[in-house]
Amino acid sequence: MIDLVLQALFSGILVGSVYALVALGLALSFGAMRIINLAHGELVLLAAYCAYLVESRTGLDPYAAIPLALAVVAVVAAALFLMIDRIREHRELNSLILTFGIGIILTNAILLIFASDVRTTSSPRLQDATSIGPVYAMNGELVAFALSLVLMVALWWWLKKSWYGRAVRAVSSNRAAATLMGISPVRTELAAFLVAGALASFAGVALYAMSVVQPALGHALTVKAFIVTVLAGVGSIPGVFLAAILLGVTEALTVTLASSALQELVGMVLFLLVLFLLPNGLFGARARRG
Amino acid sequence: MLRRVAAAASIALAALCGGQAHADEILVGAHMPLTGSLARSGQAFDEGMRVAIQMFNARPETKHKIRLQVIDDESTPAKAVSAVEKLVSDGAVAVIGGYGSNIIGPASDASNRLNTTYVTAGAVSDELTARGLKTFFRINNNAGYQRGMGTLLETLKPASVSILASTKEAPALLAKGLQKDLAGKGIKVTLHEFDPAITDFKPIINKVKLQDKSEILVMSAYENDYVGIIRAAKVLKPPVKLIVGAWSLATPKMYTEFPDLMNNIVGTSFLPFPVEMKDEEGKRFAEAYKKTYNKEVEYLSTLSFVETTILAEAIARAAEAGTLKSRGLPDAMRKTERETLLGPVQFDATGDNPRFTVAMGQHQGGRIVLVSPESAATGKIVYPGLPW
Repeated sequence: MIDLVLQALFSGILVGSVYALVALGLALSFGAMRIINLAHGELVLLAAYCAYLVESRTGLDPYAAIPLALAVVAVVAAALFLMIDRIREHRELNSLILTFGIGIILTNAILLIFASDVRTTSSPRLQDATSIGPVYAMNGELVAFALSLVLMVALWWWLKKSWYGRAVRAVSSNRAAATLMGISPVRTELAAFLVAGALASFAGVALYAMSVVQPALGHALTVKAFIVTVLAGVGSIPGVFLAAILLGVTEALTVTLASSALQELVGMVLFLLVLFLLPNGLFGARARRG
Repeated sequence: MLRRVAAAASIALAALCGGQAHADEILVGAHMPLTGSLARSGQAFDEGMRVAIQMFNARPETKHKIRLQVIDDESTPAKAVSAVEKLVSDGAVAVIGGYGSNIIGPASDASNRLNTTYVTAGAVSDELTARGLKTFFRINNNAGYQRGMGTLLETLKPASVSILASTKEAPALLAKGLQKDLAGKGIKVTLHEFDPAITDFKPIINKVKLQDKSEILVMSAYENDYVGIIRAAKVLKPPVKLIVGAWSLATPKMYTEFPDLMNNIVGTSFLPFPVEMKDEEGKRFAEAYKKTYNKEVEYLSTLSFVETTILAEAIARAAEAGTLKSRGLPDAMRKTERETLLGPVQFDATGDNPRFTVAMGQHQGGRIVLVSPESAATGKIVYPGLPW
């Protein structure tokens, strides 16, 4: 039984780190711009298919696709932002509808280009197992975990220390005041959207390297990322990581101790419970008080 | 101005006439999940269906050509119902159903309400035939898959089996049927149901490894789940001797896409690979399919080829008897009794094909060898046999 629980905890942490990886970009656009980008999962998927393209055409490691994924997703993210920027009224609601529609277009574009087959890496290096004591993981999962940690720290640093990061926070806090201070809100938000796109690129490549992707996956990724973002509380980047790990571990323990058929239900119960007890999310309220 | 009026008139005329069949053609409608979560299956079905119509129309004895109108149901029940209504209003004499019991159910209800024959090969739920619709026909069913997998497992005589099943309707139904069947034969069975959204199967496989300690791992699921399960099993290496799955697993495509995961895996199959068609119809189908799509025949395409061919032949019989417009098509369908690539097809009073059964194929180094039942076998099973 101990072995079962240990493996569940380990698997939960690894799955949670992938949830975090997918959620970081959404958390940035939601936290900094109050835009719920419902096409975020499709951006992740787009990057995953870039990895598939590079691996299947050149035989290179999927991670070699990161430059291509960054370029492709940056173009799409920039186009997406320029469309959102044209919204003049009720930006939060209208951007929701717009990004949802763009998500559908992207899913079908991927379907058209890559067909509907399931894709995953064929790299033996990433698929091989590593054991740490009594627990096992695929190498691809360990790489994704490390990547998730690094990106979380990098994003946190960017928001706290860099000029653009501080500008993003300033625009998010008070757009008019930020403009008076000489910050261009459009340029700042575009930068934030591009960073969110870059995070989606890394997430997509990591996802392809450790899991299975198919065109219909984008929507599910967005939903999971949204749950993690709300669970964490708006504005807390380390919170996103911890909330994602909590969700991953809860799901894995449910699978081990009860049934996988209940894992989504338990995840949603956790989500609702946190929202009921801490309406600002697990880390949002504390951040605000602080 | 005149040009604009002429263009508008042309568009209006095209819109009015677009959906109508030509005088010498009979319109058959189809709703397929060409996009959305079931697109993979829908596209394979679409290919088989088109080849069937092409071959039927090319037969020298065909007097009434069939024209196919396909609507993408986007993998959603509501769109499927709208598609059926549109197809019937366009003059379709019958509708070929898409994929998934939850979609086929309401779509075939709509078709029945409109007194239009509905044929499917993409839904195995028992509830569909329990409705007693007079216009509903199905060539495959859960019982046939259960029989095919059960026969193999019975032959191997394992002491214990672990079943991993998606909670989606069709896999769950198959898993529960198998569980009951195998338990009745004295085999210890443990069922692990999993949510379709699961991405990491290691916690479940670890239960198989540490708690069940089963000899055979059975998967009742879909392609993405198979890959996840086998990959998790490759990491944790449970002490199983064989991995057996349901539909869409023993296909050349799966081996091409996942060569490191598929060797020795067993799944339901109709044909060995390289394709060896025993009869003339099969050979012509394989040839036409290859010519059209530049690939070998697919599992799901074979299903849709058979359902479409049977429907086309029934339409021809009804048209010949002059009963096509007086609702004679269901009667013509009920008179169907023929050998097909899937085995014998015959419909009972509920529209089901009670003679449907599948063979089991094993991936053996890039080939698919039919290993069960003995009558269909093209080679011997590798047992114990695992991909690692």
